[in-house]
Amino acid sequence: MRTLTVLYDSECGLCRRAHEWLAQQPKLIELVFVPCASAEARKLFPELNHEWTKADLTVIDNLGAVYFGPKGWLMVLWALTRYREWSYRLATPELLPTTKRVVSAISQNRYQISRAVS
Amino acid sequence: MTIEITTYLVYLAISIALTIWVARTLHKNGRVFLVDVFHGNETLADSVNHLLVVGFYLINFGYVSLALKLGYDIADAKEGIEALSVKVGMVLLVLGGMHFFNLFVFSRMRRRKTIHDGRPPIAPDSFTAVKQEV
Repeated sequence: MRTLTVLYDSECGLCRRAHEWLAQQPKLIELVFVPCASAEARKLFPELNHEWTKADLTVIDNLGAVYFGPKGWLMVLWALTRYREWSYRLATPELLPTTKRVVSAISQNRYQISRAVS
Repeated sequence: MTIEITTYLVYLAISIALTIWVARTLHKNGRVFLVDVFHGNETLADSVNHLLVVGFYLINFGYVSLALKLGYDIADAKEGIEALSVKVGMVLLVLGGMHFFNLFVFSRMRRRKTIHDGRPPIAPDSFTAVKQEV
């Protein structure tokens, strides 16, 4: 795996903040950020359901493997030099259900959280 | 033979035996870790293992030798045994410390390896076609 394309919601403040933070982190794998359901995203992944990507973070590797929602977040962590260990820890069977719950809760309330922190 | 000399000889015998035992344990059980770290390259693993054990011997024998001198007179066998227990106790603690340091080095090497050629933490949800970049 060489690159991960991150389809993120460019209309949400929290996501833009996360994008800025990620851009500064040292990486083991290159991350490419593309706003979800944009013309660019549709061009890159012609067969993907783009309505679906608006609901939650979607990460696609250069071979076409799609990681949606919490899985996408784990893949982004995995790409970071400092946090790869955490991606394994959070993906263990003991922690995965909690990871999914927390990540989904943040994703679903991202506009409210953005408003609250700005 | 005075009590001091006997104490020194017993101290040396116990310390040397302990050091050899710990070094052999490390040598035997550390090999598996090193083979894994070096992607199954057994020659390299054996070489590094041997070098680690040599360093281990040097540090421990160095300590045993430096710590030999008692610095006070011993009157009877009771005091001899007491002095011996302090000395051997220190050697044991140093050996224990070295042992855990070695374990730490091994696991560190191993973790670094798994970090760098690690597989994704999770399986993908699906696959999609990717437009080839020109």
